[in-house]
Amino acid sequence: MSKELILMMHPTFGVLALIAAVWTFVATLNASDANVGRIRTAGVLTAVLVWLAYIIGGYFYVLYYGADKAIILQGPWKYSHSFFMETKEHAFFMLLMLATFLAIAVQANIARLAAARRLVLYTSGLVVLMIFAMEGAGAMISMGVKVALLAKQAS
Amino acid sequence: MSTTNAVNGGENAGTTATAFGISYAITALFNVLLVIVKENIPGFQDGMVAITGHHWVTHGLTDIVVFVVLGIILSRTSVAKMPVSSLINYIVASTVVSGLLLVGYFTVA
Repeated sequence: MSKELILMMHPTFGVLALIAAVWTFVATLNASDANVGRIRTAGVLTAVLVWLAYIIGGYFYVLYYGADKAIILQGPWKYSHSFFMETKEHAFFMLLMLATFLAIAVQANIARLAAARRLVLYTSGLVVLMIFAMEGAGAMISMGVKVALLAKQAS
Repeated sequence: MSTTNAVNGGENAGTTATAFGISYAITALFNVLLVIVKENIPGFQDGMVAITGHHWVTHGLTDIVVFVVLGIILSRTSVAKMPVSSLINYIVASTVVSGLLLVGYFTVA
């Protein structure tokens, strides 16, 4: 598999995790005995997809990102590495743990317990916001590579 | 999995969920502390590289181990009986503060 395909799998799993987290949030708003099983599935699926995004993104980062980093640092958007990548690679650990926690929180009887329901709502909401931030930072990093290559081509 | 019940004047989200929620709140802040330490002490980062071959891999594994171990330990203490409103406050505050600290650190670094 090419490294480009490996890289594209990272945001793809991220977006799928985002959808699963939104599913968890919305289903929890309408929690009942009928859908409590689906809420558990959605919560666990969110965690699994975030873990897949982490493992694949980490694999690319450790083995291949060095070349992209060198390109970015020669271009006009150096901050796409020094700020966006540095922040993203460390904030991702928070997302990873929060998504794992979501999988634990959804195991309670959300349909009948208001406390557990509130906890899942806040946690899934935070996961959604954090994935949005990760996707945005990833876009800035990709653009950092692109503008560096364009600047090199123009010179 | 433990059940939810009313304790200390507020509803509890279950022992396991509460323990791992607190563990997340603490580990998120620990994650930032680890960033600041490894970025400012070259020898520390070298040590992290020596463990797995890459500081980021060691960093992630350390966070995960702290999160899991702390969660297990806390689930056996009275802290896991914290009301859900306090737990949510800790989780949200830790996420916001840790996020802002990371953003702030890499803005000035």
